[in-house]
Amino acid sequence: MSSVASGAIDHHHDSTTSTGIPNKKLLMWAFLASDCMFFGCLISTHLIYRLHPPAGTPAATQVFSIELTSFSTFILLMSSLMMALAVNAIQKGNLKSMRASLILTIICGLIFLGCQVYEFNEFVYVKHLTISNSILGTTFFTLTGTHGIHVLLGVIWLTSMLIYSYTGRLTEKDAIDVESMGLYWHFVDIVWIVIFTVVYLLEYI
Amino acid sequence: MDRNLHGRIPTRIHLILYKTMSHSAVANHDHGNEHSKFEIFVQLAMLLAVITGVEIITVYLPFSHTTLVTVLMVLSAVKFLFVIFIFMHLRWDKAFCTILFFIGMVLAGFTMWALLQVFSVSNSIPLSSL
Repeated sequence: MSSVASGAIDHHHDSTTSTGIPNKKLLMWAFLASDCMFFGCLISTHLIYRLHPPAGTPAATQVFSIELTSFSTFILLMSSLMMALAVNAIQKGNLKSMRASLILTIICGLIFLGCQVYEFNEFVYVKHLTISNSILGTTFFTLTGTHGIHVLLGVIWLTSMLIYSYTGRLTEKDAIDVESMGLYWHFVDIVWIVIFTVVYLLEYI
Repeated sequence: MDRNLHGRIPTRIHLILYKTMSHSAVANHDHGNEHSKFEIFVQLAMLLAVITGVEIITVYLPFSHTTLVTVLMVLSAVKFLFVIFIFMHLRWDKAFCTILFFIGMVLAGFTMWALLQVFSVSNSIPLSSL
């Protein structure tokens, strides 16, 4: 946050709203809370069905690649760091630094998506696990695919914000827009933290 | 601060310290905050990467199933909380944001618990294998 003495903006509070929280931020938190329930249901469904794959379905440990997933997880964590730095930069009015951080976040997001496309391709064509040939495939592809779509939407949002920043209309006053986008991106990261443990790591125990 | 520190430090260092401390208190405070926030973010990212590494190693350790599941869940929860409180700024935001998000979390938790109770493992046995 910039100096109070220089009349800069308090990015965490908004005295004009009844809650003292900027409306955009409140909306995003409400959306994320509802998205928690959505992913909660998908994760539960996967947990219920994972223990009884039909005969002939390969075991999850034979299908999953822990190395690739760990790499994806690391990339997504680093993208969260870049996003946090981007929000910090725009709150200080440092547009150049924000752009650099946004570009790195987009690159990390694209690498993650690339890994997921590679993984899905490998599962379907090499390990013969499809969304329709087993219950494991159905729950796995639905859950990770939904997460992947969230990441894709995040990348599109990030790219739009990056392009918008070059129009000269994005200033420190609009930091809340970048912060709301950041909240969404971090949420995608925390969902993956849970998926990584519950869907992937638990299979190896 | 050590009360006797000023008496022990050389005059030159004392002067540098005085010069440094004579800047505007607000500016110093803000600069310190920004710097520390940057450091916090970087350190947290490193910590999250280390925890992820520990999680991966944990699954290969020769402990009981319950112990390993508990350790993994705790580590996952720690990562989750670090991200929402530091990266998502909940630590610096109004408590209402935390309450709002945790309402969703609690509802999600109860929904998951209910689903796992209603549809027990035996319900997932495919009809063809019965």
